[in-house]
Amino acid sequence: MEQFDGKDILDIMHADLQRALKKPRKERRWAMAIDLKKCIGCHACTTGCMSENLTPPDIHYRPVKEEEVGEFPNTGMRFLPRPCFQCDSPTCTPVCPVTATYKRDDGLVVIDYKKCIGCRYCIVACPYGARSADSGHYYTGDFRDKTYEVENSGEYGETFKRKSHWHSPIGNARKCHFCIHRVEKGELTRCTTTCLGSATFFGDINDPKALITKLISKPNVFRYKEEIGTKPMVYYIP
Amino acid sequence: MQLFGVLIPEKEQLIATASDVAKGKAGLALYVSLFGLAIGFYAIAAIFIQGHAHTINTSNLVPWGLQISTYIYFALLSTGCTFVNFFGHVFFEKQYKPFASRIIFVGIITAVAAFFSLATEMGRIDRMYNFLLSPNPKSPMFWMAIWYTSYLIVIIWEYINIQTNKHSEKVMWGAFFVAIFTHSTLGSLLGSVSSRVYYYSALMPIYFLFIAFLTGCSLTTIIAAITVKQKKLDEKYHLHPFVTLLKVGLGLALVITFWRTMIGLSAHLGGSEVFSLTLINSVLFGIVVVIVIPYILLKMGNSANWLIFVGLFIMGTQLKARNDLVVGAFKIPLFRVYDMPEVVHYTPSIYENLVVVASASLVMVLYIVFERSGVFEARNIKEGH
Repeated sequence: MEQFDGKDILDIMHADLQRALKKPRKERRWAMAIDLKKCIGCHACTTGCMSENLTPPDIHYRPVKEEEVGEFPNTGMRFLPRPCFQCDSPTCTPVCPVTATYKRDDGLVVIDYKKCIGCRYCIVACPYGARSADSGHYYTGDFRDKTYEVENSGEYGETFKRKSHWHSPIGNARKCHFCIHRVEKGELTRCTTTCLGSATFFGDINDPKALITKLISKPNVFRYKEEIGTKPMVYYIP
Repeated sequence: MQLFGVLIPEKEQLIATASDVAKGKAGLALYVSLFGLAIGFYAIAAIFIQGHAHTINTSNLVPWGLQISTYIYFALLSTGCTFVNFFGHVFFEKQYKPFASRIIFVGIITAVAAFFSLATEMGRIDRMYNFLLSPNPKSPMFWMAIWYTSYLIVIIWEYINIQTNKHSEKVMWGAFFVAIFTHSTLGSLLGSVSSRVYYYSALMPIYFLFIAFLTGCSLTTIIAAITVKQKKLDEKYHLHPFVTLLKVGLGLALVITFWRTMIGLSAHLGGSEVFSLTLINSVLFGIVVVIVIPYILLKMGNSANWLIFVGLFIMGTQLKARNDLVVGAFKIPLFRVYDMPEVVHYTPSIYENLVVVASASLVMVLYIVFERSGVFEARNIKEGH
């Protein structure tokens, strides 16, 4: 079991989360850190996320980029998991013509499925390709019994059933939301709990005692495409 | 028959047209466009009934496809008609007058046809009311909606003025400037997307205006040439303004296409390799086929039939050029994940292609029905008296 200062990291992050939830929402700043040395490219986070959010085919909130580095015989694999970066200066929210996607006071970039008109402008504007359009595909295709696939995913703590293309979130833009429906109930994000290599860390970076705050304070920590000024809230530990 | 002082086809004339259609005397153009409208509306119905998953080939990698490029194409055609109407009235008043009501009418119906295509691309078109209930003034798309509505109102006003022989220079100038604002905003909708290097450019709003001028010139040249033939007008005298404007349009398109490509090639930004990927297409198709060849064709003849051919040639190549522009931005994936291709390819589905047919057929059917009803002629007869 992965430990930090002799304690299980999941227990530490869980305690951090409970402490954060006691604060008013606007005083929290949710962030994620991913230790690239520990990521083994197992895609457990991807599949965990898919089962948590019941994402349809072709929609992955958290894919893992795989790269082969070096030249034979000195080769290796490198993995880069990519959730939504919940940018502090997002490029997706200003372009939404109907304010269906916006930044909450705790820093999360969310989508109001009841407002979204499905114009896909946010998908075009996101520099990370972190957004997807739910066109209404089902794993079961035209099979009549799609009970599992129309089930309520509980995203954003609300009830949505994908019964037809006139039922949200079909027709909407979708993306990772740091499992806010779990987090607000005091549970860690699904990708954090399913990570086999214990490479994913989640917490409130406004809390100086939180594990994530300690991890991201290291000098070699970087953020993806930081130079474009989006101020992502996902930190990579090389 | 009049509606707010504007001539619309008489009931008897509409019945006569329907009767001609039934008897097989309506003319090939009307039959082709009615057939196009029928299959196009079938495709639109299928998109709304079956949903995007079963009908559309766009994806997360290519979120905007042929329907958006068709929307842009028709929106630019509409702008072009407004531009030609303005320059026609200002610089070629007498030569242009017989075509004024036709051209501004086509400006209106192409704007409506553009909406047809856009509506099929939206995931939840039923929620468009959110533009009013929950507007976002930071979004270029919001401003495009505002300007587009204003644009439609002002060109309808211009049409009413032309039809009622009360042409107002103020409204004409207003239509011209609202068209500039509307369609440069449409350009900014793409040009302000910093994450897509293929779009991101301060040139994009100007690019849209110049291309709108070219496509509008080609469409209005076709309309003018057909009218000149039908009414047996003096070809050389009446078509001269359109040939002149078309040459200016080709020149403007050449300048803006060249510099957009050159700046893109020298950008060296992440994702700018798409300019290298599309370089052959940009030079061979975007410049040689779309601009140089039409210019040579224009130099080869000025007869009405020849100008119809040149106009159709430009309109056809411009439709492909708009698709290349919209889809080109998605060729290089932003985040290359294990199951994503290095270069993304997109082929529109049959339904997407039929949306183009529906939009084009709608314009043709409305124009032919109004033309057959003599609505555009009534004004000239009035003036003759």
